[in-house]
Amino acid sequence: MSARPIKIAVMALGGQGGGVLAEWIVKAGERAGYIAQSTSVPGVAQRTGATIYYVELFPKKAADEKGAAPVLALMPAPGDVDIVIAAEQMEAGRALARGFLSACSTLIASTHRIFAIGEKVAMGDGRQDAAAIEEATSRAAGRRLWFDMERVSEESGAALSAVMFGALAASGATPIPRAAFEETIRAGGRGVDRNLKGFAAGFDAAASGVVEAAPASSSPRSSSVTPSPSVAPLVARVDALPEMVRTMALLGVKKVVDFQDPAYGALYLDRLQRVRQLDQAAGGEARSYRLTKEVAKYLALAMAYDDVIRVADLKTRSSRFARFREDVRAVDGQIVQVWEFMHPRIEEACDLLPAPLSNAIMKSGAAKKIFGAVLGRGRRVPTTSLTGFLLLNTLASMRGLRRAGGRYGREQARIDDWLRRIESVLARDYALACEIAGLQRLIKGYGETHERGLASYGKILAALDLIASAPAPAATLARLKDCALKDEHGAALDAALAKLGVKAAA
Amino acid sequence: MAERSFAEEVEDLKLGAGEIFRGEGILAVTKALLQSGVSYVGGYQGAPISHLMDVLSDAQDILASLGVHFEASASEASAAAMLAASVNYPLRGAVTWKSTVGTNVASDALANVSSSGVKGGALIIVGEDYGEGSSIMQERSHAFAMKSQMWLLDPRPNLESIVAMVERGFELSEASNTPVMLELRIRACHVYGSFVAKDNVRPVFGLKDAMEHPERDYSRVVLPPSNFVHEVEKIDKRWPAAVDYVRKHRLNEFLGAATGDVGVIVQGGLYNTLNRALELAGLSDAFGDAKIPIYCLNVTYPLIDDEIKGFCLDKKAVLLVEEGQPEYLEQAVNAILRKGDIQAKVVGKDVLPRAGEYTSGVLLAGVRKFIENHAPALAQKGEPAAPAVDDAAKGVAAIVPARPAGFCTGCPERPVFSAMKLVEKEIGKFHVSCDIGCHLFSILPPFDIGNTTMGYGLGWAGASAFGADAGQRTVAVMGDGGFWHNGLTSGVGNAVFNKSNNVLVIIDNGYSAATGGQDILSSRAANKSKSTNNPIAAAVRGVGVKWVQEVHTYDIGKMKRALKDAMTTTLKGPKVIIAQAECMLNRQRREKPLRDKAIREGKRVVRARYGVDPDTCTGDHSCIRLSGCPSLTIKDNPDPLRDDPVAYVNNDCVGCGVCGENAHAAVLCPSFYRAELVYNPSSLDKAAAGLRAAIISFFQRGADKRRQRYSFGDAA
Repeated sequence: MSARPIKIAVMALGGQGGGVLAEWIVKAGERAGYIAQSTSVPGVAQRTGATIYYVELFPKKAADEKGAAPVLALMPAPGDVDIVIAAEQMEAGRALARGFLSACSTLIASTHRIFAIGEKVAMGDGRQDAAAIEEATSRAAGRRLWFDMERVSEESGAALSAVMFGALAASGATPIPRAAFEETIRAGGRGVDRNLKGFAAGFDAAASGVVEAAPASSSPRSSSVTPSPSVAPLVARVDALPEMVRTMALLGVKKVVDFQDPAYGALYLDRLQRVRQLDQAAGGEARSYRLTKEVAKYLALAMAYDDVIRVADLKTRSSRFARFREDVRAVDGQIVQVWEFMHPRIEEACDLLPAPLSNAIMKSGAAKKIFGAVLGRGRRVPTTSLTGFLLLNTLASMRGLRRAGGRYGREQARIDDWLRRIESVLARDYALACEIAGLQRLIKGYGETHERGLASYGKILAALDLIASAPAPAATLARLKDCALKDEHGAALDAALAKLGVKAAA
Repeated sequence: MAERSFAEEVEDLKLGAGEIFRGEGILAVTKALLQSGVSYVGGYQGAPISHLMDVLSDAQDILASLGVHFEASASEASAAAMLAASVNYPLRGAVTWKSTVGTNVASDALANVSSSGVKGGALIIVGEDYGEGSSIMQERSHAFAMKSQMWLLDPRPNLESIVAMVERGFELSEASNTPVMLELRIRACHVYGSFVAKDNVRPVFGLKDAMEHPERDYSRVVLPPSNFVHEVEKIDKRWPAAVDYVRKHRLNEFLGAATGDVGVIVQGGLYNTLNRALELAGLSDAFGDAKIPIYCLNVTYPLIDDEIKGFCLDKKAVLLVEEGQPEYLEQAVNAILRKGDIQAKVVGKDVLPRAGEYTSGVLLAGVRKFIENHAPALAQKGEPAAPAVDDAAKGVAAIVPARPAGFCTGCPERPVFSAMKLVEKEIGKFHVSCDIGCHLFSILPPFDIGNTTMGYGLGWAGASAFGADAGQRTVAVMGDGGFWHNGLTSGVGNAVFNKSNNVLVIIDNGYSAATGGQDILSSRAANKSKSTNNPIAAAVRGVGVKWVQEVHTYDIGKMKRALKDAMTTTLKGPKVIIAQAECMLNRQRREKPLRDKAIREGKRVVRARYGVDPDTCTGDHSCIRLSGCPSLTIKDNPDPLRDDPVAYVNNDCVGCGVCGENAHAAVLCPSFYRAELVYNPSSLDKAAAGLRAAIISFFQRGADKRRQRYSFGDAA
């Protein structure tokens, strides 16, 4: 068979430097004695879309011997690509979907994720299954270099394209020597040192057959610090729970104590223990106490609801100050000033007042108007300045008054109602009880988000009798919950409820 | 200034005879124009030919030294009308645009120049925006060539062929007194390759000569009786002259085997893809030594009847590889063979798809089917007719998310649409007529705003039917690019004249941003060769709009109020909001190096960016649905009790503040924060920060101590 070109496809997103990489490959190929051709279809794809850059390298020697120029293709053909470089994990999947991966191809892919808009806008978790891509590409590609090049890029301070270029050099998938790659970067003349560093980092990572570092464990158990006396009894109570529930219960009680105090933690465990007993009576042991585990999780979230005190508390913590410095990449000692975007509404302010008082205010048009004029607009609270910090710190320290507020009473009543409903179906339908427990997932956030979630939650619970008499109650409830997370206007949920026979509210 | 600088590429335009030019296809065309002694070049930017415009724009000095006049035309119509210079004078001229959209706009002038005929060579370089990467309706420029009887070149997609066809194109135009279109597909425009350069040529007869010695010839004017004469002339003189030239100079090529029972007729631009398909079918090699004869049409209009008859005479069947529809070539070849009583079967759209791009995979399947049916002896043993789509690939295709194009990080257009969404919540839904430009991304998620787009600058005209006395007004969107292209007359003037009550939002970001950030009339930057700083508001008021508001886009609250005002005011007449803020891509390109330099030099610099607190973010993603900024993304929820990923601002953030403004305007949640990082702080900065830190950490230590009392140790 006569000589054939080396065919290289670069799958990248607009702005990832796919064009730079393709240009480098062309130049490195020319240095190493190849006739190079590359093309792309940039256009609007440059603006965040997915783009394929395609390079063919043909040995110049073969062309000289033949005395003719090769006819090179302008796009990859399915099953006929030697090297696929994917600048993101889903783009490696796209290469497979387009048929570019085969037993003869080498896949060089960065495993980091850049989420597509469709994944980001979901009201719950809309992320696609990256594990499936990892598994499928590993089977489809003849060889695979698979590591987080974005991290290598960040660590080396170089662009992702330099790291990918290094990985290509290390792959040995082309006969181009390392020196030709490096010379190409030097000849480019822009950011040479940084790019060479990134190239070397990519080369080394790929050459050492880099394996993903294990994700840092969220709760390292390096030293042994005993619980403080005030919470030790709570820990003892958690330890008395069935083993499979303990981790979740401990996380839960910790969150609740952090929200309020140990007494609130005790209330959490009282509630949980009751559920655990009923769970056991309903044969929960055989089901690994699934219900207790669900309740342990969602009860904690329900009890540690988001109010003004909680937000002020979280915003003023020393750990949060350390975190935002890290998030904005401040260097040691750099001055960082922070402003919060807050928009207090009368509802949130009233949450703190005793129920009768807050009810009276909410009914009074005048009070609403005055509040709206004075406080009810967006504010930037400067948390790192003294006035801002002291304001928030004062709010945070009102924790002791929380139990007197109207919101507290409302939340506890709702939680008790939720638990009662779980109990009421438990004996009949264990799976349905678990789904009711999971319904708490809908209630989250502040302001409109919170109200919307609460409304969906209410609508579904109101239809509980109808759901219980449906052919598969648990599955029906699960579906309704999914529908509630489909759109902001509740259209999908209303449609699903209507199908079930619920009359639309006037 | 354009998004990309072509300072280096401009140097390549100076290459002399024998030197090797290396670069993109569309830049090779630029060089070929100079080698052909062109006197004037015009055009309108747009993928995939923007770089041709950009490089000429950066090459003013070279153009001046060669006596070439270059215009960044106001529209494709302006560009096409430029060709009038070649009607009376022996001046070579070239114009360029994105096709078919640009050809649509240009077609009035094109039809006129085609009727008049040309004395000097007139070349129209069209970037055929078809198939993958295209952003427009899928049509063929071929129809324009046929209807006006201009000749259409479709060269093989390598730089040598493209350059040769530019040079031949001028000669063909002069030999047949007809404008010639040169069609380049997207990939051919961007293909990197090389060719041996020639010296640039300064025209013997220049623009100056024509202006100082004007000539007129009534027979060239498209008015009776000349217009009737022109039609006859096209058939009797120009067509035969073109056929003679094409045949004599062998613009079409006979490639592959000399003889065979079957053969392929292919558009030149598809030749490389065809050869790859033949290679994969075992019928050719990397040098194009195909086992079957190939007739390669570098000229797809007019067809050369004798060449086609000759090629088909001894064949049982020919495969016609013609991309797009209708299948004009297939119909024409069938007619030629039928009239010539030649029995070769023409196989085209029966084995190849009627619509869509002819990719390697598509052509391979078509070639295999053709060979199986008409030359089974040549078929590879045991090969499937089409490459099998793997189950794994199918499964993965369902997972891989779509990546629609969207607004860039920090784009100033995003807050306009956020505001629109917020206004919609207050006053109910309204009809939105869109235009062409970056702002059209509003049609895609997460904004999902907009009903139709009728063409560049036609955003407001697209809503002009809605003149009823209704309870809700319509909103039209137009970019500054579209506004100057024709929107000022087709949209604004039209609305004033017809007493519209509706609303127009003009996005004034200072550039023709979608096509690569070229300057336009209202650009704020100073431009040596162009007149900028002509405000849109003055133009709008000048044609009679009374209600005009200029609003800074990033102020979402103000934008919201302006929109609501425009939608609800009792004032009669058209309302125009000019939403102003510089394109962030261009702004960053200008400001970032300056900022980095200032930091390096030890000057005090404050840089803003935004963040989200993961422990107050509950993973509802309302903020993303209102914004869609690429730097506003998601990550795992650090709280193991919570299910949904939290919002997160990555390090690409440019600190535009739209996410925070949205959180405010929409009353979302308190998770967003604005951070200001101080570089090279003054001693006052340091003292104040030290004092603040001391007091804050005093309180924080107290709170830490309290939490310590409730510590679970490492039990959790």
